[in-house]
Amino acid sequence: MNMDNNKPTTQKRILFATLLAFAFFIAYDFLYIQPMQQQKIEAEKKAQGTEQTTATSVNVQNDAPQTQTQSATFNTAPTSNEPIIATIKTDKNVIEIDSLGRFSQVTLSQTQYVSESGKQLKLFNPSNLKPLEVRFSDRNINTEAFNTPVVADISEIDASKQSQTITLTQELTDTTLTKVITFNPNGTYEINVSTTNSKDFFITPGFRPDILADVYADHGVLLKNNDNTLTIVEDADLSSISNFVGIKIASAFDRYYATVLYNFEKSMALSLMPDNAGNPQIFINAGDDIKLYGYMGPKEYDTLKALHPELTDVIEYGWFTFIAKPMFTMLNYIYSVVGHWGWTIVIATILIKLVLYPLAHKGMVSMMKLKDLAPKIKEVQEKYKGDSQKASMHMMELYKKHGANPMGGCLPIILQIPVFFAIYRVLANAIELKGADFLWVHDLAEMDPYFILPILMGATMYLQQKITPNAIQDEMQRKIFQYLPVMFTFFFLWFPAGLTLYWFVNNVFTVTHQYYLNRTYDKAKELRKAAHEKV
Amino acid sequence: MKKVFSLLINFYQKYLSILSHGSCRYYPTCSEYSKWQFENNSFFKAIYLTITRILRCNQLFRGGLDYPKVRINHKNKKIMHKRVIIKYWFVPIGDGYFYVIKNWERNK
Repeated sequence: MNMDNNKPTTQKRILFATLLAFAFFIAYDFLYIQPMQQQKIEAEKKAQGTEQTTATSVNVQNDAPQTQTQSATFNTAPTSNEPIIATIKTDKNVIEIDSLGRFSQVTLSQTQYVSESGKQLKLFNPSNLKPLEVRFSDRNINTEAFNTPVVADISEIDASKQSQTITLTQELTDTTLTKVITFNPNGTYEINVSTTNSKDFFITPGFRPDILADVYADHGVLLKNNDNTLTIVEDADLSSISNFVGIKIASAFDRYYATVLYNFEKSMALSLMPDNAGNPQIFINAGDDIKLYGYMGPKEYDTLKALHPELTDVIEYGWFTFIAKPMFTMLNYIYSVVGHWGWTIVIATILIKLVLYPLAHKGMVSMMKLKDLAPKIKEVQEKYKGDSQKASMHMMELYKKHGANPMGGCLPIILQIPVFFAIYRVLANAIELKGADFLWVHDLAEMDPYFILPILMGATMYLQQKITPNAIQDEMQRKIFQYLPVMFTFFFLWFPAGLTLYWFVNNVFTVTHQYYLNRTYDKAKELRKAAHEKV
Repeated sequence: MKKVFSLLINFYQKYLSILSHGSCRYYPTCSEYSKWQFENNSFFKAIYLTITRILRCNQLFRGGLDYPKVRINHKNKKIMHKRVIIKYWFVPIGDGYFYVIKNWERNK
């Protein structure tokens, strides 16, 4: 409550707060969302372009690497499309290996992973660092390696039923590099890389997948240390090479997908190297021999958990991971029973409501007593007009006298915030909820295309205010309070539909509860009245 | 640090408290309580007492009047022999503890 009851300033403040909020949302839309959408469109165009070039380069098999610029630490590998020397088919994906022994592209083959144009999703952007690229510490060997094609012992593998192994050999003047990769039906792989003559080298899980990297969720690199702490370096945040030791998991991720190399038996030492835009690139220090396990694909909780429980740590929800993770576990459990994400959110909301029911009920009942106290409250308000501090103090005394305290308290409101953010983060980061539909909403992780949910949300909020007795003393604040549903409706217009759904269901239950209480209160009053008249 | 927190609380009270529309069960409100704490207590004590106050501010507790309690050693404090504007009253409750009560009239 405000210290001074000066009305013009209160009005100004409200105006200021509203304008600030609107300015923020408009600026956010212009500065972030629109450029992002443009980038997305451009990226799609680019992807289409590269698809065509891959097609041509398959025809022209002897396409030599084009550009080789030297950098201070490593020679930059050619990023143009090298000819494909082997194709591996697993149950989950199709992996193409190019003539430099790298994963040129990984195409997800499960039916749910299709782009808007109906094509199976390709994980990587061909112009970025490719997975399993090897870089030698010795610059001369490195230069030679980038010009020497790798020989594969087999060119076509079907690992969709059982694990299959491919051996890639690169004969260089001073050393021979051998990659033995075993592909499993579930799309994961195991890799042993070694060199002869103890030549040290680095190997990378590749630059992060580039399917969906936007402002709504983090993207970059995540490292899990031996002490189970996580190090996250977001894109564009890396200014210089930084080194790490004792790393169990190294993951490069976008919003929903990741390329991961891990080894739980023997931890890794690695360097993060910035690209031209300051995006981190992982280079694992292999010595002259290393064994690693790899995963490339969607960050699905159940899939990762089946591989190794610790791998679920590559799913991260930003600051609110500590609360978003249990929230996801709960939602995932409900989903496993219900089988539909929209209803899962509805049921989760009801469960949260049920847990808080005793508290809410107590509060509402004591708020009903407020109706009986109404004349006395008015008296206090009249008496201390223009001094809200004194008025609220005397109100407190009044409540105490009658054993009622209508206020909900600060804690319940503060508790709402993390719950709200947890759902927001889960909706933004969990691939399981991507494309989950609910009645007319085609994707719960995106805004409601017809604005039905936000409007329903606003309407229920208005209704809730109408039927709830309130104790706001300040006339001005009461007015602003009445406009809150309108403001909230506006904010929620662009929020993920799942979040609006949560808020809406929440409101519906509060309103029903309140309505029921009002009815019983009125009935009790009538009974009392009737009893009184009889006597 | 204390100043930063006081500024944050002021910002909250001015622009954000409309959203929580006086739901506090106590007098002074949690934000006001916290402000008084930060102005009269050590930083860590103020933080601790603010957090416990917010935790107590729910339907399981009765609410009502709850003034900040602080421990002040008034010995060895110099006496000021000039006109002062009183910002807080310290009401002794024994053992060196005092209730802090803001003097709302000081600006009048």
